[in-house]
Amino acid sequence: MKTILKIALGIIAAIGGFLDIGDLVFTTQAGALFRYDLLWAVVLGVVGIAIYAEMTGRVAAVSGRPVFDVIRMRLGFGLGLGALIASTIVNLLTVAAELGGIAIVLELLFDAPYDMFVVTAAIALVVIVALLPFGGIERVFGYGGLLMLVVIATVVHQGPEWGDVARGFVPSLSSSTLYLYFVVGVFSAALMPYEAHFYSSGAIEEGWTEKNLKENRLNAFIGYALGGLLSIGLVIASGFLFHPLGVEPSDLGTVALPMQGAFGETGLLLALGGMLFCVSGAAIDSSFAASYNVAQFLGWEWGRYKGPRKAPRFTASWLVFVLLGVAIAQSGINPVEITEYSVVLAVVALPLTYLPVLLIAGDRSFMGEFANGRLATFFGWLYFAVIVVLALAAIPLLLATNGGGG
Amino acid sequence: MRGSGDKRLRTGAAALLLTALAVAASGCGDLSNDELNRGVESLSALAAQGQLVASGVARDATKSTYARVMAKTLGGEAEHEAEKLADATPEEGIADQRDAAVAVAGEIAGLLSELQTYPGDERHGALVQKHLEEAQEKADAIVARLSGDA
Repeated sequence: MKTILKIALGIIAAIGGFLDIGDLVFTTQAGALFRYDLLWAVVLGVVGIAIYAEMTGRVAAVSGRPVFDVIRMRLGFGLGLGALIASTIVNLLTVAAELGGIAIVLELLFDAPYDMFVVTAAIALVVIVALLPFGGIERVFGYGGLLMLVVIATVVHQGPEWGDVARGFVPSLSSSTLYLYFVVGVFSAALMPYEAHFYSSGAIEEGWTEKNLKENRLNAFIGYALGGLLSIGLVIASGFLFHPLGVEPSDLGTVALPMQGAFGETGLLLALGGMLFCVSGAAIDSSFAASYNVAQFLGWEWGRYKGPRKAPRFTASWLVFVLLGVAIAQSGINPVEITEYSVVLAVVALPLTYLPVLLIAGDRSFMGEFANGRLATFFGWLYFAVIVVLALAAIPLLLATNGGGG
Repeated sequence: MRGSGDKRLRTGAAALLLTALAVAASGCGDLSNDELNRGVESLSALAAQGQLVASGVARDATKSTYARVMAKTLGGEAEHEAEKLADATPEEGIADQRDAAVAVAGEIAGLLSELQTYPGDERHGALVQKHLEEAQEKADAIVARLSGDA
């Protein structure tokens, strides 16, 4: 009974912790610009992260090795260093975007200067990380993120034409570069590399072994799938309200407008509260991911559970990433723009993150009976092919659409 | 040898600079029909978004800090668009539409500034919502004229 409860709580945290600023921005913009047409791309991304999260969690539980250990082991020092640099840039941009996101939401709630809130957010995160155990951090932000369920209630309240919504799940391509840019953005937002880095390192932080494989599978397949419903809800709510009016969301605050439209101030506060937990959780995840990667690649002692005394360089690097994130967030660049660039650039780093995972998870000499089966191998490689195609298309699309500006 | 190379380099650079100055002074438009169209579409989108915020104020269905910050942000974007359009040199035949667009941008920025001042006043909210709707219609009319649909 205790185990079932633990698994259920893990799944709930995974649902609430699914969204980050990239999902909030890209899904809302996708709905406003293309109504329900990109719902299939959201599903594609959600299934992708579920498949790869399960693999990274399984590799971590069975071998005790997190993603970046595996990357260096499989790719060697040179390519591994390339992967480290690429993912560190993306992770750093993500940390900055999430810190900026926290500051924007606080500004919307309390109307004080943005710059002040960026610093406040960073201090609050450092205090939370210092005081709470690893599992506690995950749970607090995961459960808080459940406030975003108001998105689902909003969709039900709006009552869209369900036939139109259903058609959006059928994959379709268009010659419009903006449409293709959003396919890349929506897909990449779901599969951000920091999620895999954090998930596998988190498995080791929590001491997962082969006994936790069931928990891993349920977290990945049920937690992420249900979390993906929130992304789907955001596309529908935005498509229903914004598309007919011609609204082009360029601010994080716009994400909450459909919920205000449906439930007034209560809906607005639930949405802003949910967004606050989601982006705060993602700020912690992405900053940890950045320092996990560096520490694992360079062979330092790492882990939140070890504390600053046993893992001083890991702790120091984490603080440096948070400080750099603050500096970028305060540079005057709109956090939504930072998000757009980090999400699209992340696609380029995705193959270097997921190929080693795929190779090691399928290696019977390393994983034994827990290696990928036929289904996991098929979907793993299928998704890798998709990732490579999108990685090649990402930069040209970013330039052709002027960063999604059309 | 080196001296003659430097001279050629300086002459080339001077020619390049003079060409750039001549192009700038000739009044060749740096704002095309398409660019103006995109700018006015952005204004229409800002007006639409502003209406949703104002509607929340009008129905007393929002939080005043949210309405104030959103109005400030959207107003800033409208003002920026107005400055961008006003600073640009329009290509031949679209100067009138450019001026109309700048006026609409100023109108939208002004209305959002009013909403920023009264984020808790339902009557102001309703008025701003109505006027933003009219401003959006004006922006859409400019888009139609630029596209040759009107």
